[in-house]
Amino acid sequence: MYEIQNEMSLMDKLEILGDAAKYDVACTSSGVDRRGKEGFLGNSCAAGVCHAFAADGRCISLLKILMTNHCVFDCKYCRNRSSNDIKRATFTPDEICDLTIEFYKRNYIEGLFLSSGVINNPEYTMEKMCETLRLLRTKYKFNGYIHVKAIPGAPQELIYSAGLLADRISINMELPTKESLSKLAPNKSFNNIFGSMGQITDTIAAHRMAIGKDSRMERSDINQYLDNSIFSEKKRIEDSKKDLFLPADINDTKLKRNFASAGQSTQMIIGATNESDYDLIRTTQYLYQHYDMKRVFYSGYVPLNDDPVLPEIGTPVPLLREHRLYQADWLLRYYGFQANELLSEKNPNFDERIDPKCFWAISHLEQFPVEINTASHDVLLRVPGIGPLGVKKIVSARRYGSVTFPMLKKMGIVLKRAKYFITCNGRMMERIPIEEKFILGQLAGLEEKKNKEIQKPEDNYHQMSLFTDFGMSVQA
Amino acid sequence: MHIFTCTRNYEAMLTCIYVAWASGFGHKNIKLELEPFGQYSIFDEYTHVDADTALAQKVMDAVNMKLSPYFYSEIAYISMGYEEDVLDIMYRMMLYGFTYGNKALNMVQFDEIARYKAIRKRIGNEICRFKEFSRFHRIESGAYVAHIEPKSNLLLALGPIFQDRMPSENWMIVDDVHKEAIIHPINQNFYLRILNDEELENVLASERENDEYTDMWKVFFETIAIKERENPTCQNSHFPKWTRKHVVEFMKDS
Repeated sequence: MYEIQNEMSLMDKLEILGDAAKYDVACTSSGVDRRGKEGFLGNSCAAGVCHAFAADGRCISLLKILMTNHCVFDCKYCRNRSSNDIKRATFTPDEICDLTIEFYKRNYIEGLFLSSGVINNPEYTMEKMCETLRLLRTKYKFNGYIHVKAIPGAPQELIYSAGLLADRISINMELPTKESLSKLAPNKSFNNIFGSMGQITDTIAAHRMAIGKDSRMERSDINQYLDNSIFSEKKRIEDSKKDLFLPADINDTKLKRNFASAGQSTQMIIGATNESDYDLIRTTQYLYQHYDMKRVFYSGYVPLNDDPVLPEIGTPVPLLREHRLYQADWLLRYYGFQANELLSEKNPNFDERIDPKCFWAISHLEQFPVEINTASHDVLLRVPGIGPLGVKKIVSARRYGSVTFPMLKKMGIVLKRAKYFITCNGRMMERIPIEEKFILGQLAGLEEKKNKEIQKPEDNYHQMSLFTDFGMSVQA
Repeated sequence: MHIFTCTRNYEAMLTCIYVAWASGFGHKNIKLELEPFGQYSIFDEYTHVDADTALAQKVMDAVNMKLSPYFYSEIAYISMGYEEDVLDIMYRMMLYGFTYGNKALNMVQFDEIARYKAIRKRIGNEICRFKEFSRFHRIESGAYVAHIEPKSNLLLALGPIFQDRMPSENWMIVDDVHKEAIIHPINQNFYLRILNDEELENVLASERENDEYTDMWKVFFETIAIKERENPTCQNSHFPKWTRKHVVEFMKDS
């Protein structure tokens, strides 16, 4: 079995294990507000703080590393699978703590994201991860944000410890159906993943109730105005109050921390198997409602391994599809949409030309135009170009007088999209035929450039220069 | 038009508001501007106002007592902005405030209030940027020093943020543009200090002090990006180039 080795320099390990962790999507430091304390290092901000943006445009908020990239599992899509011949390394707990503290003090990061390959077995791995977090919280007095990945199949007590030490805990679901999971990740079992997820959900609920909060996580306050929101139906937790899990005292309870106060999240790979967008957002909605997930992340599959059941190496990453799915995810969480309003069995995939909200609006033209000065929150939120913040601004402004188009523009409402669907004091902004074909054409035209940028970001136009493009040089 | 001018000093700005208000020319005939300005106009009359603590205090008291501390904090907040019309907007905010009460702050039907909202949003975003992108360097004494070059004068807004983040460390943030610094001694409150040229020169050297953690961060920053997803446009829009001047991962090794 594997032994922890210390021959490599810290720099080498960071390079190997940072590289191995980059395919994990979640890098958010959000969900919990915690003030700093004297003698400790760090605080936490519910909105999250991004400290840098990497060359791929993704935010770097946390020090995202694996504890080890040794792995006994052989998941087909994963770079760290046991059958791949790659450089392997393992951090010692002190090394992880040291890096986190020093990076944090220099304001490079907002906290730690700790994941790991499965070394020996899930129990051993989870125990090592807990040891690291315990050290960070106690010896190094770190009070910042920690996101920990739970290893499915680890004992409940260890996951409980991890949740007490971290702010957010997540288990990667990876694939939305049982069949795909058994095809691509033979060592993982759907029941194991959902079992652990359910335990975490219940423990969070039990902890929240023990401190006098609602059993369900807080959601964006715009949801209180939305009757049709996915969060307005209370599911699962209310039915299962009887077996909520609050284990007896273990050492980590002495730290007096809440269990995973920033909630639970998960991620799914898209593009490696042939699930439709409808399957994915239905699963997403199910996870939000039944497992009270704080976030569900999507990861466009980057072909890394040569395997007959996977897309070939060189297949482009489905970036635009991923973008559309995230847009739909936002519609579920902030706009009061349900998965079956956005897509259906007959029409299972998003139109890549326009965003899901525009797509919904165009296919429901009978509900438009909407009068800005009288419409309710939920109706306004369904207008393309108006978001939760825009709705708040409009509603606040309406109290002191009527709202006009120039005012909407100053408020930051995206009129180029909204103008097809709204009236101010009974008038539209300009003469617009309310026809599906016309509006679809206009909106698709608006998005064309952006879509290209997302699909092929490297093909951007740039200013030509004699020196770089034509190789000319200045002669003295 | 009577134009009242003053320097970019908070006390001077409040004094200027007091003098303009008391001038009796009528609010429509008054404009307030910050020095230095580009071009004088030949049809307007200019009056320079110097800072006067007593008059500034009167304005502060009036807003705090007749309106609310919240209204006052909003006025103080937008005074950080680098925008040229910020002083005039402060004046108009008070004008609407004294007419309509505290709710004036939400009356975006008035152009000046809409403008105040826009300035406020921009300052908020700028503070957020420097909260994210300030980079500290460890100097020999064990203290941490960061340099920033913001457009607005936002050091005082950054102080509480970092004090909460690192209460038990010695640190200092230097604003190279406005030549000011906030200094936080371990377990104490931070304070503001205006730096002279010599002091500024001394603290500038701290930026060259890099250690192995800086190098490791650069390596991490490079490795964490997925090559297949490279997207410079997206990176630039989240991380504008003007904020990168003192960010270690973009600084070339000297």
